[in-house]
Amino acid sequence: MEMQVEKPVFEPVSVQRKSLLWYKLQKNPMTLVGILLVTALTVIAIFAPCIAPSDPVKINILDRLEAPSVKHPFGTDEVGRDILTRVIYGARLSLGVGITAVVIAGLIGSSIGAVSGYWGGTVDQIIMRIMDIILSFPTLVLAMTLAATLGPNLINAMLAIAVVKIPVYVRLARSEALSVRERLYVKAAKTFGLPDWYIIIRHIIPNTITPVIIQTTLDLGDVILLVATLGFLGLGAQPPQPEWGTMISTGFKHMIDQWWYPTFPGLAIFLAVVGFNLLGDGLRDILDPKSAR
Amino acid sequence: MKRIIVKRLSLLVLVLFGVTLITFVMSHVIPGDPARMMVGQRASEETLQKVREDLGLDQPVWAQYLLYIRGLLSGDLGTSIRTQQPVISDLAAFFPATLELALYAFIIALLIGIPLGVISAVKQNTILDHIGRVFSIGGVSIPVFWSGIVAIIIFYAQLGWLPASGRLSIGLEINRTITGLYTIDSLLTGNWKIFKDSLWHLILPAITLSYVQLATITRQVRASMLEVLNQEYIRTARANGIEEWYLIIFYGLRNALKPTVTVVGLSFGSLLGGAVVTETIFAWPGMGKYVVDSIAFLDFPSIMGFTLIIAIGYVIINLIVDLLYMVLDPQVRE
Repeated sequence: MEMQVEKPVFEPVSVQRKSLLWYKLQKNPMTLVGILLVTALTVIAIFAPCIAPSDPVKINILDRLEAPSVKHPFGTDEVGRDILTRVIYGARLSLGVGITAVVIAGLIGSSIGAVSGYWGGTVDQIIMRIMDIILSFPTLVLAMTLAATLGPNLINAMLAIAVVKIPVYVRLARSEALSVRERLYVKAAKTFGLPDWYIIIRHIIPNTITPVIIQTTLDLGDVILLVATLGFLGLGAQPPQPEWGTMISTGFKHMIDQWWYPTFPGLAIFLAVVGFNLLGDGLRDILDPKSAR
Repeated sequence: MKRIIVKRLSLLVLVLFGVTLITFVMSHVIPGDPARMMVGQRASEETLQKVREDLGLDQPVWAQYLLYIRGLLSGDLGTSIRTQQPVISDLAAFFPATLELALYAFIIALLIGIPLGVISAVKQNTILDHIGRVFSIGGVSIPVFWSGIVAIIIFYAQLGWLPASGRLSIGLEINRTITGLYTIDSLLTGNWKIFKDSLWHLILPAITLSYVQLATITRQVRASMLEVLNQEYIRTARANGIEEWYLIIFYGLRNALKPTVTVVGLSFGSLLGGAVVTETIFAWPGMGKYVVDSIAFLDFPSIMGFTLIIAIGYVIINLIVDLLYMVLDPQVRE
């Protein structure tokens, strides 16, 4: 009689993890919606010139303020530009500026935090009090004032947003650094007489990277919203740049008779921000089971 | 508890020092030449020199900062370039409108947010919960300026139900101001017409503004309710036959409100930021609209004055919230 060969009970770890992730995603359909929205936004931003039906800045005064139609699904603006085209190109600006701002904040913030947590003492105290002070301003108000001081344009708006976001990353990296510096390998490295800067770069910063990356995803939605708000207030992108907030600021004047003008760029902001928020929430739930409720 | 209060107050002093330092750097150091900024490009070299001396810009930076602080302590926030009035009196004139708007928005956010969070938690993973969660994700994702515009398009332009700008209808005027809050003043003087009209004008902007904070409150209440309802004492109480609604409110919500208090304090930041945008959309004559108008003029004294006042207000609100937290939580009090 033939012996029945038993199949291995445990599948390889990687497969198990993958299906667990998939299971968690299925349990949380909102995360899937978030992934879909973010993917769509990214594709639209990258392939804007191929997707957009016309030119985002070309003026066509004869077609001004036309209602949505087959030719212009989102209508046209006050100088006859196709709003759909401008919304599509707007994805590039919002995503580009948003990611850059978050990356700047993440890099600067986590470096400061790593140094602060590793060294401790007076340096740490001073740095953390400075962060407390930055946090004592409402985010939008500080970003607004900074952008106004630096001069109203898209680059300065980006810098202002990066500055107001820095404290989050400083705190995050610092708390990681505080626990890492007590580890045996860091103490061993110290005993070998390795310089502080080497330990920070070799051991502290690599350990802070994962939580910082998760935080950047969580922050992207918020940052895109800030970019649009500064644009709306006239402190971000300047016309004729096809930025969503700036478009709404002009469309605002036409809202009573041309409802489509401010409505569609706003819908784009909403979908982009919701996408990142859902994705961020989902990521947090999946990676941190304690908060998953 | 005393020690905590003293510690918090000393932190407040430090934060105020830092806040003034930041506004000082933004108004005196970053712009390069604030005097040029004040007088404009076309002013003569003489006027420029005079303004520099008036502002103390010919002195070293630390002396300038001391001058700046001395001015602040005597209530001097500079003169607005746009209105030619002292910034402090401008802000004082616009403050009540902002306070009234923020107050109503806050009340709406509490009245809707807390029950919504409780229902979401009690009915976890049901259709009610999903609707509640989508609703609160919307609050942190919809730009305030857009929800305001959409509200105006629907309720003013299309349906014609509600007014979309200002605090009172054209032609109406409030004759006596006591607090500066029109709804309260009109009640105190018994002027029903004004009361109804001002309440009418508050509906759209207050609801628009409340949505930001409402979402944060709902999310927090839901999360902490879920945590509390899974505790053993809740199970014990339930086993003892305590009625469910009583259990949820007095055993559950009472404990879930503690973490919510802190979040509510922090969410005042988004409420204040949101007020700037909401006032612009609804032509609401408050500090937010004032500062946005000032931005268009690059009127720096007004912008900095506004920022300083808002930051101080925000710090004080959070101090009050922390104290409130201590009252609610006996463990911290000890």
